[in-house]
Amino acid sequence: MKPKQFDLRTQKLVICLGPGGVGKTTISAALAVHGAAIGCAVDVMTVDPAPRLLDALGLAPDSSEPVEVELDDLLPSRRGDANRARLRALRLDPKRTFDSIVGRYAKSNAARDAILENRIYRNLSGALAGVADYMAMEKLLELAANPDTDLIVLDTPPATEAIDFLDAPRRLLELLNSRAINLLSAPGGLFKSQLKMMDVAARAVLAAFDRVTGLKLLSDVQSFVRSFDGMYEGFSARAARAQDKLRASDTAIVIVTTAESSRIAQAREFIDALESAGLHVSAMVVNRVLADLPDAAELVSADISPSLRRKLRKNLTDYAALKTREQASLSALRDSLPAGAALIVAHDLGREPRTIADLAEIGRNLRAG
Amino acid sequence: MTLPRVLFVTGKGGTGKSTVAAALALALSRRRPTTLGDLDRRMSAAALLGTIPQDSTAVKVTDQLDVIALTPRAELEAFIERIVPIRAISRRMLRSRTFGYVTAALPGLEAFLLLEKLRILAGTAALEDRYLVIDAPASGSAIELLSVSSGVKGIAPAGTLNRLADSIDGFLSDPTRFGVVITMTPEDLAVREALETAAIIRDRLGIATVAAIMNCVPDSLFDTSELAAMSPLGAHAQLAIRRNAAHEQASLATPRFKNAGLPTINLPMMFTPSIGRTELEKLGRVMKAELLGR
Repeated sequence: MKPKQFDLRTQKLVICLGPGGVGKTTISAALAVHGAAIGCAVDVMTVDPAPRLLDALGLAPDSSEPVEVELDDLLPSRRGDANRARLRALRLDPKRTFDSIVGRYAKSNAARDAILENRIYRNLSGALAGVADYMAMEKLLELAANPDTDLIVLDTPPATEAIDFLDAPRRLLELLNSRAINLLSAPGGLFKSQLKMMDVAARAVLAAFDRVTGLKLLSDVQSFVRSFDGMYEGFSARAARAQDKLRASDTAIVIVTTAESSRIAQAREFIDALESAGLHVSAMVVNRVLADLPDAAELVSADISPSLRRKLRKNLTDYAALKTREQASLSALRDSLPAGAALIVAHDLGREPRTIADLAEIGRNLRAG
Repeated sequence: MTLPRVLFVTGKGGTGKSTVAAALALALSRRRPTTLGDLDRRMSAAALLGTIPQDSTAVKVTDQLDVIALTPRAELEAFIERIVPIRAISRRMLRSRTFGYVTAALPGLEAFLLLEKLRILAGTAALEDRYLVIDAPASGSAIELLSVSSGVKGIAPAGTLNRLADSIDGFLSDPTRFGVVITMTPEDLAVREALETAAIIRDRLGIATVAAIMNCVPDSLFDTSELAAMSPLGAHAQLAIRRNAAHEQASLATPRFKNAGLPTINLPMMFTPSIGRTELEKLGRVMKAELLGR
């Protein structure tokens, strides 16, 4: 199978997904820097709670609005279309974004305050059904509406399930619109006759839970969801637009992994989950692949001491073993790629990427694997 | 060093948590009976030992070592079955979509119940004089998990749940019962994240940290004069520099952790085409010698 090519110029949106610790943030930043270097106006956004991308891009940790990144001589010469080229970076603060969206859709200031001051919302809104993921989608729509932007690269939080992130808007909506919520927001005991046994039981569990725990959680959950009443329409319309965006032809879903066998297995599960949700994976980026090893024959003629030659041979043998491990995982991956997905290899720099120039180098050297 | 009953292994993604947890469990099992509890949905630590447990029923690896799977979902189900004694109803509820939304509206409950399960397992382990090694989630999620009981105390100022949260807090903050092992690799980001994680776990959560494990440390094969002599050798020299740089990075990290009051254990880089039982045994021996003495 001939892997598809992957061209940044034809994309409007690139979403990087992947397990933690594979360098997703680095790859997102490298793609963004490279995009700007080839002449695009790029925004890159991270939802990662650790502000690593901003670290690499040299930005303050609280940049919730796009901040221009200094690219100096990395930008193409400023002629014609090329003067569009720029890079802006931002870090999403899910809580703040959620607060502002609640403010936008709440029927009244009182309804807004009821939500913002709710015990559940205050203590645990971060843990509530993918709020952070949903907020990333919201911000994405806002950025995408800017006609001066050619490309948006999104660095998602590390996930165990690929679909969690992309599915967040739908899940939040289902939660707000579910029978459970209607049931919870109904005043106690009123509609019992209309409720199915399951609902009665669900409610009974919550009530029992409250009794056992002294939590009064039921009433808090009730008032929390009741305050969302009437906001559903606004949320719903935006979630639908987010879903459309994900399936647009100029949106690329990119899965980032490393060549470790456990990560590859995880990445393959990601692909399966996405495909079964009808979402197409455009490319798989395998990060930190060892560059090709030098030729041992070069050591024979080199003007070095025998002991150093022995050590260099040992070093080569050692890394060759790691390379063998890596190649085995890569070929397994190649065999299982979905049709039309590109396999891209990002070579290890041999050092940690710390500067914009490092990121540009990684972006420039992405190769078909 | 006296080890806590439960060793909770966390660290930045990709630093080898599962490998370290599996190797540690294997090594400790030479001293006392040991259980490896896998919190990872893919059971990667258990898989390294050649078994995939389905639930919290122990699966034997050797006479002294078994593995169990710990899932928040299973704990939630057990909890619901306790409070809804009619089995037909509890079963149907657990299967219903509606109920999924209800649990989504009770954030942190699953994590809370998982901690309670760990507390109970630690009690059993104490009676059987057994170690419990946990392959935990990556540091960010692990911190969330370990903070859940204080979150619960915030929203449940009184009652049974508050008392339960108290006993979980007591368990987590008792250094004889619970301790955290943090994994990292010789890379700046991983080292920084390990230091931050250690500080949060110890200072903010009041939970003991046992050791920081530096995974994948190559020996320094070349001395300074050799590195200078090989500079015309291009890619060969680069490969040598890479190896020495990783070694150097690990040496520089050790005093930083020492200052933070946390011992580090360096695990050798396994230059092998695969990681199997032999490699795990080797890594485990290094950790056991450092943690328990020879």
